[in-house]
Amino acid sequence: MHPAVQLNSVSKRYGSRPIVHDLSFTVERNEIVGFLGPNGAGKTTTMRMIAGFTTASAGQVLVCGFDMATQNHEAARKLGYLPEQPPLYDTLEVSQYLRFVAAVKGLQKSEIPRELDRVMSACRLETVVRREIYKLSKGYRQRVGLAQALLGSPDVLLLDEPTAGLDPGQIQETREVIRSFGAQHAVLLSTHILPEVTMICQRVAIINNGRLLAIDSPASLQQASEDSNNVALEVTAPAAELEQELRSLTGVLAVSTHPVPARPGVLRVACHVDGGEGAEARIARAVASRWELHRLERQQPTLENIFLRYVAQGEAKGKGQQ
Amino acid sequence: MSGVLAIYRKEMLSYFRSPIAYFVVAVFLLGTGYFFLYNIFMTGVGTMDETFQSMGIFLMTVTPVISMRLFSAEYSAKTMELLMTLPLRPWQIVLGKFLGAASMLLLMTAATGVNLIPLYLYGNPETKTILSGYIGFILLGLACLSLGQLFSALTQNQIVAALITVPVLLGLWFVGHVQSFQNSYALRDFFGYISLSLHFGDFIRGLVRSEAIVYYLVVCAIALVLNSAYLQWRR
Repeated sequence: MHPAVQLNSVSKRYGSRPIVHDLSFTVERNEIVGFLGPNGAGKTTTMRMIAGFTTASAGQVLVCGFDMATQNHEAARKLGYLPEQPPLYDTLEVSQYLRFVAAVKGLQKSEIPRELDRVMSACRLETVVRREIYKLSKGYRQRVGLAQALLGSPDVLLLDEPTAGLDPGQIQETREVIRSFGAQHAVLLSTHILPEVTMICQRVAIINNGRLLAIDSPASLQQASEDSNNVALEVTAPAAELEQELRSLTGVLAVSTHPVPARPGVLRVACHVDGGEGAEARIARAVASRWELHRLERQQPTLENIFLRYVAQGEAKGKGQQ
Repeated sequence: MSGVLAIYRKEMLSYFRSPIAYFVVAVFLLGTGYFFLYNIFMTGVGTMDETFQSMGIFLMTVTPVISMRLFSAEYSAKTMELLMTLPLRPWQIVLGKFLGAASMLLLMTAATGVNLIPLYLYGNPETKTILSGYIGFILLGLACLSLGQLFSALTQNQIVAALITVPVLLGLWFVGHVQSFQNSYALRDFFGYISLSLHFGDFIRGLVRSEAIVYYLVVCAIALVLNSAYLQWRR
């Protein structure tokens, strides 16, 4: 069986300006892949190439085995796409708009009402069915956009920043919709919100300057970054002596101390440690034997840190190549 | 064909859910009503000849108002991204939109039928000539709409789309007048053949010539094919 989405060495340039370079990755069926990258990284362009809105300058985009360059129409039948800005017809009512999209997607007339009910209930649109789209709030507009993408249960769902502009409650609901949809279909989701990726994605693709920097599960990416862990502690101690003591310990790479405001004498210390075992225990023993230790915790690398590290590495590599 | 129909239905809904359709039809009826009354009272002859002539020129400024939004509005509202990623081929989008605009034209044309009531009540007009005039008027309108739709696809600004369409249509309308300044027969024939107004003149006089019908249909076909090709190229 073909992967839901397959990119083979895809590049895109506008005139002489390269946007995406030699991008290759796949999204399997029943998988939610997060697409992370800073602004201008090439996420939207990549999404547009997969959706068939723009064609790749080089390489091949396959959706369920259909080549976007030559079998665009067949591939489009497999896709549901929510662009960065929801594509809505302001003068139409929500139900009229969804009915239009359902008809274009080739749904049978008899099944359209049932399908409309399904997506409207999934996206919580029941209360605005008869409302004109221009009267809707940003959150509702986003949800109408998501509803049109879900129509016809497409094999592949492409979502460009689906939770942008939603309030926390709506974000939660939308994530739930995506999670349940992703249990049976493929979802590629671009986002800036890093916790979103850890919460709902099985794999994460990190992209910057149009290049793929990493693609793996959030857990593996975190694991790969264990060597850059930090240990944070709060101690009542003289700064110079404490720093000297900590630096003498095995596995401690760097130490920085800051006084805690409103707690005289207490220092907040960040120890940069290597990936070896027992660093926290050694630090705890050394500190507790001489001073008063209030708090000690090993900080797991957040996806945010991993993301920033990959982006920084990618930029350094790019400069090196130049 | 279901894709074309879906686009067509969406277009018709959009026309009647915004004030554009009502406004354009109202302005068109006011204008044609004025031309009709003016011509009847000035000439005292119970025909539609002069009225059709005025309606023809009026069409050069009214059709761009209908066509200017066809693609420009889709670009500016970012809905083109939806149309181009749904299972639709560019020609289906182009044809669906054109049929919607053509329906508006037919509606406007049908509404001018109100002028015929006093004409038949108090005069003795030639029905065949009037029918031929209407056929010409609709064909002329279709050609104008197809060109307007093509120009609308070139820009995301509706005003710019209209500002390109009006001079092109007026140019094609008045190009027939250049005929008399030409010594070369080939050029005279050429300017006559590409003129929107000269072919329309035949219909007004009651001549339904296949050459004129083919001319308008060819203009539509060229504009719609270029329109589809442009959408495909934009990918």
